[in-house]
Amino acid sequence: MKQSKLWVVLCAAILLLGVAGCLWVLRPTGGDTVEILQDGKLLYTLDLSRSEDQVIEIPYTGSSNIIQVQDGKIRVLEAECPDQICVHMGYLSDTGLPIVCLPNRLVIQYQQAGTDGATG
Amino acid sequence: MRKKVICVITAVLILLSCAGCGKQEEAADRSFFALDTYITMQAVGPDAEQALETAEESIRELERKWSVTSPGSEIYTVNQSGGNPTSISEDTAEILRFVLDMAQDTDGALDPTIYPVLTAWGFTTDSYQVPSQEELDTLLSYVDYQSIQLTGGTVTVPVECQIDLGSVAKGYIGDLVADSLRKCGITSALINLGGNVQAVGAKADGSPWRIGVRDPMANGNLGVLEITDQAVVTSGGYERYFTDADGNVYWHILDPQTGYPARNGLISVTVVSPEGKRSDALSTALFVMGMERAIEYWCAHGNFEMLLVTENGTVLLTGGLENAFTLDEEQNGREVTVIHHEAE
Repeated sequence: MKQSKLWVVLCAAILLLGVAGCLWVLRPTGGDTVEILQDGKLLYTLDLSRSEDQVIEIPYTGSSNIIQVQDGKIRVLEAECPDQICVHMGYLSDTGLPIVCLPNRLVIQYQQAGTDGATG
Repeated sequence: MRKKVICVITAVLILLSCAGCGKQEEAADRSFFALDTYITMQAVGPDAEQALETAEESIRELERKWSVTSPGSEIYTVNQSGGNPTSISEDTAEILRFVLDMAQDTDGALDPTIYPVLTAWGFTTDSYQVPSQEELDTLLSYVDYQSIQLTGGTVTVPVECQIDLGSVAKGYIGDLVADSLRKCGITSALINLGGNVQAVGAKADGSPWRIGVRDPMANGNLGVLEITDQAVVTSGGYERYFTDADGNVYWHILDPQTGYPARNGLISVTVVSPEGKRSDALSTALFVMGMERAIEYWCAHGNFEMLLVTENGTVLLTGGLENAFTLDEEQNGREVTVIHHEAE
């Protein structure tokens, strides 16, 4: 009797683990999560709805970008590249293009954007 | 005992089946830097991963052929030919023929020989400056797409004249990639060459692709365009620009007539057509033409749709986009006018 109870408990535990695993795999990814990549490598993952205001400096072969997180928004505040396109792009929009700094191979993008793509 | 064993096996099977929960049908995505921009591609279909890898290789190969700055590229060689006839590959002859046709068709609003003027402004070197009128006059005398002679696989470019495929290359390459994916049996794909968007079919669930259109006057988006099997390209003056000591803004889209940034009443032009090359060429050409000529051109040709944003912020849409475009919630109050063909 005792042994059969143990089996039931074991089965229940495995089942629960399975269900939990399923939920974890299928969990909704945060709509406010942004990724900062350089040369295709993921440097930072930030949940903008929870991140504190901060400034992140990202160096790249003698140059750098200063990224600002403020009031749940993110942008490139300063860049040492001459064209300043990444600065001109302003705050990242979840329905717009990723912020890209070509010379420094930097990309800031939403993990899950509100659109499939963007033009502009 | 048998019951217990079945119980354990069932539980383990459920646990294992969850390992596959995240997987759906064969989907692939790929992103990389090329063509002076950030490229993202996504596709669903047989061997999608392999198809995108091949697409990246062909993009890099075409970049090597068509780059205006890389010594060794076909375009670089043509520009350094000292006025002598130069043999070019079939690919290069075809894109050149297309851009020359578009230049003719737009009455020179698009001119692939504007490159030396663009360089004088520093837009190709990132050392911005306002060139003197004298320098502009001299350089403008070499700007003339009609001086390019293309016969079969041989091109002749006069001395001092230079060609650049920058105004059509991304759209043209988007078409080639879309065609190659279709040939691989891929029925759903989205290729984004830095805002130059090319759709193959619809999304995997059958709904149209949703493409954000940037607000040229502020951060954020103007709205969303829903497209299927179309290419969307935007030209605007709000990203690549510089400001002089007096606060004047100079952007990179130049008017081949004046050699100055094109200021003809528009701040952004989005073109939607089945062909990326046409969308790309026209977005620049219509920006240069300005609102009135752009509308005239659309009325006369009509093989594309467009979304114009004027300097005073009005949005003009052609009839075919009326149901495809949704203004962003934050844009409430913005004036939107729909233009129809006279016969409609």
